[in-house]
Amino acid sequence: MEFTLLGAVFVGVVPLYLVLYWEAKRGNAASCTRNLWDVALTALVVGVFVGRLAAMVADGVNPLTNPGDILIVRGGVATGPATAAALATVAWLGRSELWPVFDGLAAAALAGLAGWHAGCLVRSACLGAPSELPWAFAQAGSPITRHPVEIYAAVLLGISAAAIALWRSRGRLLPGLPAAAALICAATVRLVTEPLRPTLGAGPVWWYVAGIVVGAAVAVARLRYRTTTGAGNGDAHPANEAR
Amino acid sequence: MRRSILAVIVVVLAASCGGSDVDVSTVPELPTISSQELETLLAESAEPVVVNVWASWCVPCRSEAPLLDRAARQPGVRFVGLNVRDDQDGARGFIAEFFPDAPIEHYFDPSGDLPLDLGGTRGVPLTFFFAAGGELVNLHNGVIDERTLALQIDEIKAR
Repeated sequence: MEFTLLGAVFVGVVPLYLVLYWEAKRGNAASCTRNLWDVALTALVVGVFVGRLAAMVADGVNPLTNPGDILIVRGGVATGPATAAALATVAWLGRSELWPVFDGLAAAALAGLAGWHAGCLVRSACLGAPSELPWAFAQAGSPITRHPVEIYAAVLLGISAAAIALWRSRGRLLPGLPAAAALICAATVRLVTEPLRPTLGAGPVWWYVAGIVVGAAVAVARLRYRTTTGAGNGDAHPANEAR
Repeated sequence: MRRSILAVIVVVLAASCGGSDVDVSTVPELPTISSQELETLLAESAEPVVVNVWASWCVPCRSEAPLLDRAARQPGVRFVGLNVRDDQDGARGFIAEFFPDAPIEHYFDPSGDLPLDLGGTRGVPLTFFFAAGGELVNLHNGVIDERTLALQIDEIKAR
């Protein structure tokens, strides 16, 4: 049995928790009464489950006749359905205070993703396309040096998480904007690093483009909402009145 | 009531997803191969070879089979399946379900000793990556994921 995936998940969950803890300490998530840690973990589990089911169906494996295969996550998790299911779970669990819940999870989710990518060090799965750049390295016994593509993704996502956390700590923001920015950041980082990843096909590039489009649409809609109501800095949302 | 009907429809639809319609009787018996024959096959191969060790009773093998099916369709690499500690009926049923038309050469090793001779273990699944000429480049224990498989194929192609 191999447990390196679990190790990588642990490396992802720790920064997620730490950012939630830091934001709660600073009062960033004060407008949200939900336990964001519970919401994040539930969304993670639902996302992985749905993504695994989608991958099985896409590969022609019947989940009803082969239910044991659902547990073998290493067999593949479809990124798009997993993300959509995780977002839908967050929306459902936080339906009474939608934007504060999404915003409260924005920086933490990016930090968690950064940790998951950095977890490649546990899984020995950091390498991508061949490269001769000074920081490229080779797997044991190989003369071919490669881009440490998962480390690139971890660094970019980590910077995005820090930027959004700091942005939120600087003052009141229009509800929904941090969440939209986080979605755009996550999708963009995956999109720009995808060409450097080894893959058997084209990769889920269209899902990443869809993530950017949805994030941008949410941001535009929220900005238009502010303009049409005349409210600014998030004061239009009842949940922010407690801030 | 409506929810129950919807649930039944979803279950029926899901049950009809996937699977293969290939008749097991159309799958030929797997040839038995000795350690020496396998080593000769690897040494004489002009293309790099991926050897996947599987068994029909192995649940993780089912999980990685669709990925191997996709990878085997890539040009420039040869795929060999080594069925171990199994019976012909089980092996053929597995091929009919998961590799009905994949370009993979399957061999039969009822003793399960060949992976040990290649430098592996008795566990399944196992995936060996050989450069052209038979040099063992990498051995992956357990279920393989797409990134690892693509990376290792790239490695053996580049050797």
